[in-house]
Amino acid sequence: MKKTKKRITKIMMHFILLFLALFQLFPLFVLFLNSLRADVEIKKFPIGLPETPSLVNYVETWIKGGYAVAFRNSILVGACVIAIVLFAASLAAYGLAKLDIPGKAFFIAYFMMGMSFPTFLYIVPLYYNFSQFGLVNTRLSVIIIYSAGYIPFAILLIRTFLVGIPKELEEAGKIDGCGEIGVFLHITVPLLKPILATVSLIVFVWCWNEFLWSNTFLTTDSIRTVATRFYKFTSEWSKDLAKIYTAGVITLAPIIVLYLALQKSFIEGLTSGAVKG
Amino acid sequence: MEKRRKYSTRRLVCLLFILPAFLYHALVVIIPSLKTVYLSFFDWNGISEPRFTGLQNYIEMFTEDTVLPIAFKNTMVWTLIFITIPIILAIFVAVCASKVKKTSLQMFYRTVYFLPYVLSASIAGKIWSNFYNPFYGFNTLFERLGWEKLSEVLWLGDQKIALFAVAFVSNWSWWGFVMVLFISALQQIDPALYESASIDGGNSWDCFLHVTLPGIAPTLVFVISLSLMWSILSFDFIWVMTMGGPGQATEMLSTWIYKNAFVSYRAGYANAICVLQSGIVLLVFFANQKIRKKVEDIG
Repeated sequence: MKKTKKRITKIMMHFILLFLALFQLFPLFVLFLNSLRADVEIKKFPIGLPETPSLVNYVETWIKGGYAVAFRNSILVGACVIAIVLFAASLAAYGLAKLDIPGKAFFIAYFMMGMSFPTFLYIVPLYYNFSQFGLVNTRLSVIIIYSAGYIPFAILLIRTFLVGIPKELEEAGKIDGCGEIGVFLHITVPLLKPILATVSLIVFVWCWNEFLWSNTFLTTDSIRTVATRFYKFTSEWSKDLAKIYTAGVITLAPIIVLYLALQKSFIEGLTSGAVKG
Repeated sequence: MEKRRKYSTRRLVCLLFILPAFLYHALVVIIPSLKTVYLSFFDWNGISEPRFTGLQNYIEMFTEDTVLPIAFKNTMVWTLIFITIPIILAIFVAVCASKVKKTSLQMFYRTVYFLPYVLSASIAGKIWSNFYNPFYGFNTLFERLGWEKLSEVLWLGDQKIALFAVAFVSNWSWWGFVMVLFISALQQIDPALYESASIDGGNSWDCFLHVTLPGIAPTLVFVISLSLMWSILSFDFIWVMTMGGPGQATEMLSTWIYKNAFVSYRAGYANAICVLQSGIVLLVFFANQKIRKKVEDIG
């Protein structure tokens, strides 16, 4: 009796888990299938297999939406932000983890707070300041904002990693006659590779996904990043559902592929970053 | 003396490691934030010279602005949804998933549940808006299935439903993230505790109450405060799906700030609402720091 009850609970449990998995994936399946269907088919019925699967939507959407430009913008912005964040954050994290810095506790608390700092508190003056300097509607504006915004997260993630590295390694370097900077460059940075890769990955995805800043600061198509380009595209082509769904696949696919390939770094980076905050 | 001076110059050199990050962040984030607070006492359209008006913006906020109370109420409803539903769902699923013996299957579930969280809210939100479309969206499916009542619902067009329809999508992307946090917390619990609890004759509910719940308490506290802060600042899904409409049905503090600052160019007034919103968020942040220390001390 007790055994059958246990079995029923177990089956129920698996059923629920499976149901939720399907629930999470369902919209993405529909999205993908619709990208292969014609607009008329989709309007007749929103879900279904393509009658004659074709990639014509992809070609048209890619060209008409100017996604080549949007991809280039997002990659360019992402690369610049990663470079700035890695440089500033690894130096700072090293300082906070390994060096005797005056006011260390203050800086750690500062960056902790910086991580969950409300975006809306600085967007308004920053926008009008940037427009005085002619920075609004340039890629540089979002590069500056993103890199500043993501630095605290990167510092705390790298610092946690560094604290776990034994001090002996750096001390050996000092005995060999390296200065503070020499030790950092020749001993610490090589060890940091895995965590720097994780930080780069997450920063890149954030740059790709970010909407509030890019939608406010980037207003011409030639500099728009992917997420904002898609947002505008949906209003330009609101009558053509096939194009909208296809654009959805185009803009989400790179992140989904990255995630499936590197999901461990994704999950570890995003959750450990959150827990530390 | 000589040695001491050398020591302190060395410390100052060490400071150089942290200064680029600190100064850069302070310049881009903190100084504009202070400016927000300062300018909240001014009448300012963003372009012309700000005019000092004292507490006028704050007085307007609490007396004249008829939208703000609605935005505040909606933000509270939204927050209430997000400190309950995703957390309960996440704990329940995390407990179930951690009982799955096969590691690869457990990993599969974790990967799938987490997936929507890594996708752009603006893109996912727009796609969901199309699913909610009354003519070409899922309503057609409901109609075919014979669910007449459901097929007639205007998901984003009905004032009573829109907020929940958006919250539903936001929850779709959010709960998997919360679940992963709880899974890692569950993995930290010593299995011996479960054994001794079941030897004492406890059923699985007892185990949950006396072993699991205390074990995940620090994570729970953290998740609640994270959800609070995150909900109060929520913007993307709402903006791309409804822009605060229909009417003011999904107006949030964030969308109201945005409209004031960038649509009606009342930057000074928008700043005053920012101060209110961020004040609440920072309060939650510091309360969380305090409570976390307490929970850690007990644990």
